[in-house]
Amino acid sequence: MSQQNICPEWPEIRREEYRGVYVYAEHDGNSLKDVSLELIGKARQLAVDLDGAEVAAIIIGGTDAMARELVETGADRVIRIVGEGLETYNPVRYSMAIAQVLDKYRPEIVLIGGTKRGRELAAYIANTLKTGITADCTELEIDKASRDLIAIRPTFGGNVLAGIRCPQRRPQMASVRPGVFPKPSRDPTRRGEVISERVDVQDGRMRLVAVERKVERDVADLPPVEKADVVVVGGRGLGSADGFHLLVELARALNGTIGASLMAVRAGWAPHTRQVGQTGKTIRPRVYIGVGVSGAVQHIVGMLESKVIIAINTDRNAPIFRYVDYGVVGDYKEIIPRLIELVKAAPKPTPTEKQPV
Amino acid sequence: MKVVLLTKAAVPNVTAVRIDPKTGTLVREGVPLMINPWDRDAAEFALRLKDRYGGTVMALSMAPPAGKDALESLMGMGVDEAVLVSDRVYAGADTLATAYTLAKAIEKFAPDFDVVVAGEETTDSTTAHVGAQVASWLGIPYIYYAIDAEVNGRSLLVRRYLEDEGLIETYEIDMPVLVSVQKGSQVPRDISLVRKLEAKGRVKTFSNSDLGLPAECVGLRGSPTIVAKVFEAKLPQRKGELFEGPPDEAARWLAAKLREVGVV
Ligand SMILES: Cc1cc2nc3c(=O)[nH]c(=O)nc-3n(C[C@H](O)[C@H](O)[C@H](O)COP(=O)(O)OP(=O)(O)OC[C@H]3O[C@@H](n4cnc5c(N)ncnc54)[C@H](O)[C@@H]3O)c2cc1C
Ligand SMILES: Nc1ncnc2c1ncn2[C@@H]1O[C@H](COP(=O)(O)O)[C@@H](O)[C@H]1O
Repeated sequence: MSQQNICPEWPEIRREEYRGVYVYAEHDGNSLKDVSLELIGKARQLAVDLDGAEVAAIIIGGTDAMARELVETGADRVIRIVGEGLETYNPVRYSMAIAQVLDKYRPEIVLIGGTKRGRELAAYIANTLKTGITADCTELEIDKASRDLIAIRPTFGGNVLAGIRCPQRRPQMASVRPGVFPKPSRDPTRRGEVISERVDVQDGRMRLVAVERKVERDVADLPPVEKADVVVVGGRGLGSADGFHLLVELARALNGTIGASLMAVRAGWAPHTRQVGQTGKTIRPRVYIGVGVSGAVQHIVGMLESKVIIAINTDRNAPIFRYVDYGVVGDYKEIIPRLIELVKAAPKPTPTEKQPV
Repeated sequence: MKVVLLTKAAVPNVTAVRIDPKTGTLVREGVPLMINPWDRDAAEFALRLKDRYGGTVMALSMAPPAGKDALESLMGMGVDEAVLVSDRVYAGADTLATAYTLAKAIEKFAPDFDVVVAGEETTDSTTAHVGAQVASWLGIPYIYYAIDAEVNGRSLLVRRYLEDEGLIETYEIDMPVLVSVQKGSQVPRDISLVRKLEAKGRVKTFSNSDLGLPAECVGLRGSPTIVAKVFEAKLPQRKGELFEGPPDEAARWLAAKLREVGVV
């Protein structure tokens, strides 16, 4: 395509100069975010379809241990960005630092974890490079003929999926929410290169002046919603916070944990951190049990990959019954207490006795 | 102070989307349009700045002509001025092209702005891109997930909430600045119907002949990303066994299923 058809604000690029799949590796000073490792795993898969392109991680600061973990999870190279003003997180400085390094190394694909900070950085970086970015992808594929990334994401409020391409610009950028891709295991024999990259991003226009911890009161001392084999999810149909206490009891009896629909979170019955769905967590437990959840698409996209889906709902026409393996039409208040008794009475399975699903 | 409020004025009400029971496909026709709900949080945030520090709030939207109604509603909330940029050449814009158009409109209609306020994300595209990209085009600092702000001389002290980390951070940021507001963090004030009626005909509409942006920088042509395909999600096959009966039996049936699955 001749340059005159292209927006003059976009610098001229040569697509073929851009090679490799890069991941921005986010950490909190102590450890890497799981999503960054999940993306390294995905990057490795994409690299196969790009004739074995290099997989690299970009990390700001970080530790030697983090660099090692990135290599052992699948990175061929780790680029550690160092520079004044990068000691603490700052959206403008971090975005500029990452954009500078991307401009120098010219990868064809850049993946960023869709954490709150990741989402803050991603679009600014893309705009700095005048390239395209697709948010919250649920699948990433390569069109081998063109080497284009096909970034698949829910759109129209989660009602349909769109495959998005960025044919003219490089790098092709995508963000992915935590938990969407599995976290690969570490291979301690993997070797990779660690490079230190110094950048200069003197920008004094914004300063972090205070940090405080805000702890949302949790319903119970149970594992996080994305980290349990069995997740009992409560919706607006519970009618009250008391309903949640019943679910907690069931979750305990099943050695599982508790999740919530957006409406239940809104009602204040459960903290945001337990919300399942498009704007919450993506979970894939062995068993999902939805109680008083209607099954709106925005909820379903967050639990679709559960191995077994169970629902209890008074309305036999509730959309959630379209997605279940086992559904019970009825009032949870009458069913769950009895179910808890039965579960408690049953002999506990030892993990080896568990049948595969 | 001069505040610019960015709002996507005509998004489809995605919760009203139905699936055609016969074809199993999405029915988009007849889906009502509405203001992006999270932008009402942004509006409240902008109006509170004005309440406390004086000045004006100008709402800006790139939208089809139908966006006028939402802008009138915002004026009913107390927004002083509303600008709708609307042109066929803007159609099909991705977030980069949208942000470009909005940034150029800000430079033209509110060059002396202090704060640009955006919503966290839109309910139809849910990207949360446009805020950061407008800041990038304007070359100003930005912050996401704001819950409140106060003016401190020439800077803005912004408190923001990172839900996934459970942290509240406070940043001091030199103005001009772009602030994107945490959805659900505000209690948007009511729309005064009297004021909304007074707003009739006061929304200023401009086309690309007013803005004079190069056609290759806006709309589909100015968008690096293209939608290559749209499809319905394929659902994994499920057993779909339903039980309807007395609660005792229902509980026993479920317990048996849980045992089959191996969690009891
Ligand atoms: C952009 C966008 C993003 C969204 N993101 C999310 C998200 O991440 N997660 C999410 O969950 N939602 C999300 N939503 C909201 C979603 O559209 C639904 O509004 C929400 O999931 C409904 O919650 P619910 O099922 O708890 O409540 P409701 O839809 O009100 O359903 C309550 C159900 O309980 C049943 N019920 C009532 N009494 C009983 C009883 N005694 N026993 C058993 N059943 C009973 C009713 O029959 C009903 O089916 C999003 C919406 C939008 C627009
Ligand atoms: N067409 C538009 N016109 C004005 N503001 C917009 C437009 N699209 C997005 N925005 C603003 O950017 C925010 C984030 O939108 P999005 O990136 O689409 O999720 C919205 O809440 C609005 O404040």
